[in-house]
Amino acid sequence: MISAVERAHLAALAGFDHMTTQRLLSLCSGRSPVEAYAMASGAAPPSPPIAAGFRRFPELASRWRASAQTATPDDAAARCESLGVRIVVPGDPEWPPQLLDDPRRPAVLFMQGDAGALGRRRVGIVGTRNPTRRGAQIAARFGDELAAAGVCVVSGLALGVDGAAHRGALAAASAAPAAVVANGHGAPYPRRHRALWEQVAEAGVILSEWPPGTAPEPFRFPQRNRILAAVSELVIVVESRERGGSLITAREAAERGIDVFAVPGPIDQRSCVGTNSLLEDGATPVASTETILVALGLDNRRAGRRRFDARPRPVGDESVALDLCRGEPQHVESVARSERWDLARAAMALARLERAGWVAESGGWFERVDEYGDLV
Amino acid sequence: MFASIPSAVLFGARGHRVTVEVHVAKGLPGFHVVGLPDESIRESRDRVRAAVMSAGVPWPDTKVTVNLAPSQQRKSGSGLDLAIAVGVMAASGRLPLDAVSGLAFIGELGLDGSIRPIPGVAPMAGVLADLDIVVPVANAHEAWVVSDSRVRPVAHLSELLAVCDERAPWPDHDVEVVGLDRRPDPDLGDVVGQPMARRALEIAAAGGHHCLFVGSPGSGKTMLAARLPGLLPALQRDEALEVTMIHSAAGVSLPPEGLVTRPPYRAPHHTSSEASIVGGGSHSLRPGEISIAHCGVLFMDELPEFNRKVMDTIRQPLEDGEVRVGRALQHTTIPSRFQLVAAMNPCPCGEGGRPGGCECGEAQVAKYSGRVSGPLLDRFDLRVRVDRPVVDDLLSGDRGESSAVVAQRVAIARARAIARQGVVNAGLSAADLDLFAPVSSEALTVLRDQMERGRLSGRGYHRIRRVARTIADLGVEATTTIDEPTIALALELRADVRPIGASRSAA
Repeated sequence: MISAVERAHLAALAGFDHMTTQRLLSLCSGRSPVEAYAMASGAAPPSPPIAAGFRRFPELASRWRASAQTATPDDAAARCESLGVRIVVPGDPEWPPQLLDDPRRPAVLFMQGDAGALGRRRVGIVGTRNPTRRGAQIAARFGDELAAAGVCVVSGLALGVDGAAHRGALAAASAAPAAVVANGHGAPYPRRHRALWEQVAEAGVILSEWPPGTAPEPFRFPQRNRILAAVSELVIVVESRERGGSLITAREAAERGIDVFAVPGPIDQRSCVGTNSLLEDGATPVASTETILVALGLDNRRAGRRRFDARPRPVGDESVALDLCRGEPQHVESVARSERWDLARAAMALARLERAGWVAESGGWFERVDEYGDLV
Repeated sequence: MFASIPSAVLFGARGHRVTVEVHVAKGLPGFHVVGLPDESIRESRDRVRAAVMSAGVPWPDTKVTVNLAPSQQRKSGSGLDLAIAVGVMAASGRLPLDAVSGLAFIGELGLDGSIRPIPGVAPMAGVLADLDIVVPVANAHEAWVVSDSRVRPVAHLSELLAVCDERAPWPDHDVEVVGLDRRPDPDLGDVVGQPMARRALEIAAAGGHHCLFVGSPGSGKTMLAARLPGLLPALQRDEALEVTMIHSAAGVSLPPEGLVTRPPYRAPHHTSSEASIVGGGSHSLRPGEISIAHCGVLFMDELPEFNRKVMDTIRQPLEDGEVRVGRALQHTTIPSRFQLVAAMNPCPCGEGGRPGGCECGEAQVAKYSGRVSGPLLDRFDLRVRVDRPVVDDLLSGDRGESSAVVAQRVAIARARAIARQGVVNAGLSAADLDLFAPVSSEALTVLRDQMERGRLSGRGYHRIRRVARTIADLGVEATTTIDEPTIALALELRADVRPIGASRSAA
């Protein structure tokens, strides 16, 4: 167990300019964070490996000296304190056991909320930031049904699939979701997810490798994905484009022997190219939460629909148009073409469906709204 | 000796009558031009002198003074060359004064005495209607169409000398064709599939609505826009004259018959300068693209890439139908009543149309669509999403309806609108709409629902009704009230220019 002062020094050190997991681990190996902080800030002579690092990146020493001026241990500790963020290191009871012997384990974690969530069965749900409505609704459904079965839904709080999964999870009573984020606590990113971020911290836990105030720079997201994968027992990729970040999560999971599940999608849908290629590479297809519950060895007898559609079924043209929207997104032209209607007739049928909440329109495309439509 | 020769200069799209006064008197040999000539006219001294001598006339070894009256107005262009040369020859006694009386002269001279074409002869001839006009051969046809006066095409100074000396009659030149044969307007039949975009084009043509196409690269936005002129009715006689004057002034090649009878189509590149699009920029205040597109179509491809200033400056002409251009001391208005068609991608990556298609970050998309100013976007009654044609349609080989068929419906719809309210539907004011475009109660429910959900603004409401009016006018039977399917279709032709990602906000 390390002291509060040491934790404060570690938090400050993690916030240094150009700090990486590797550098942090190498600074702290075999010495206390207080000594490591002194070495990095130039107050103490650097050890040979650190000195070699300074020689390789000549700017590093000066940047770290500058960082030490602004990021003092007292400040770092005070910021964590005020946000209710705990500084957790390996050996602490809160430290996720999966990260103890991970080949690329972080040196420190910043935790907000109840780490007990990570004691549950854990399923990662990830996917693209710009999914189809279908993809987002599937993520919300999985989140809800898994959370209702007592599973901790792990995701990244990003727009799109991540957010939908968490909103779904929060819809279940006694849910305890977990989020792994790429930036520091205290400044929710994306900003549109501020409320969601707070709800997740309230009901479950939010983990970050970096201290409060760290900006969401692009390179931090792939690193975040490795922690997300590592703490999950299995990972579901709902929709991902050809080179999506969720494929990194899937790869990190596969490298750790964690099963990857992917939701099959239409082969010409851009947001499903990545998930379909995962399936080609041997990921397990998943179409319902039962598959997941079975994989976890959980009781799946009561799995299934948790929400019921109370909306009166549309009739006539609207019913026909709704059936078309069940698959891929449709627009007025495609509906008119399929049914040999004129454009105005198709437009009216779709407009009425939209008004009744059966379909949602964006950019001229209509997608079916299912019982999870309010969560995407 | 003194001679006074009528001629004209160009100013904007108008001709201005100029009297070239030449005084040849004893004094130190010299050749002066006064009366606010600009650089291009001062240069004409050398051309005129060489041309006159090439025609076999000795240059007077006395003092030659040329005054361009009215002298307070700045003049520009090489079109006064011929008048100056004739004036000098008349004032020096080489030409009988009465042989040139009743004649006006327009044309540039070559050093060999040939008479060369210039831009803007149509509007210049328009202000010399009381005289017979001597013009370069290549400009003869445009002078003919705009004025009733006798037009004398002449190819060389020596021809003119022969006529004035009564050695020969006026030459009978086989007036050559300057303009390229205008290719027929591209046909709508070439557009495969895309029923929505075709419909939008038909509505744009029938209602005169400005139209914005939003779609991925390769979805055929440019192809569609180029087919709008073919759907529009031919120009009226007065419109044709106006357009011919402008095209002549701008140096745009005219059709063989001289008169522009089809609506013009202009597609300036997005790197074009403000002056080239709006007009002005030189002493003669040359008409810009928006004026050349007068009574026709101006297509702005890649709208967000246009200079923001250009987008802002075309708003006033869009409203007024004319543009006021000027320099410090002179202004003119040039007609510029054009139909604007623009095209843009839905987002920087271009794939933002289809759900789940786009890879752009929100900030990038906001920046891209934010480049088009809101007030300009407001002018587009029609904002049409265009998707890439379906493969089956491309391979089927079926041609769509041809322009001729659609143009007939357009003509009927336009006639209905004109008979009802005197203007095309794009010109309907909010008050007119209540009068001429009443909405059925079911259709009103749709509109109210859209407004209550914040998806339709007040301006949007009027736009939808204008477009719906045009859709109804295009129907087989004339209808007064606008019904629900028509409103539903009109609502579909009002794409959100905001990105897909941004409109799908968190619950």
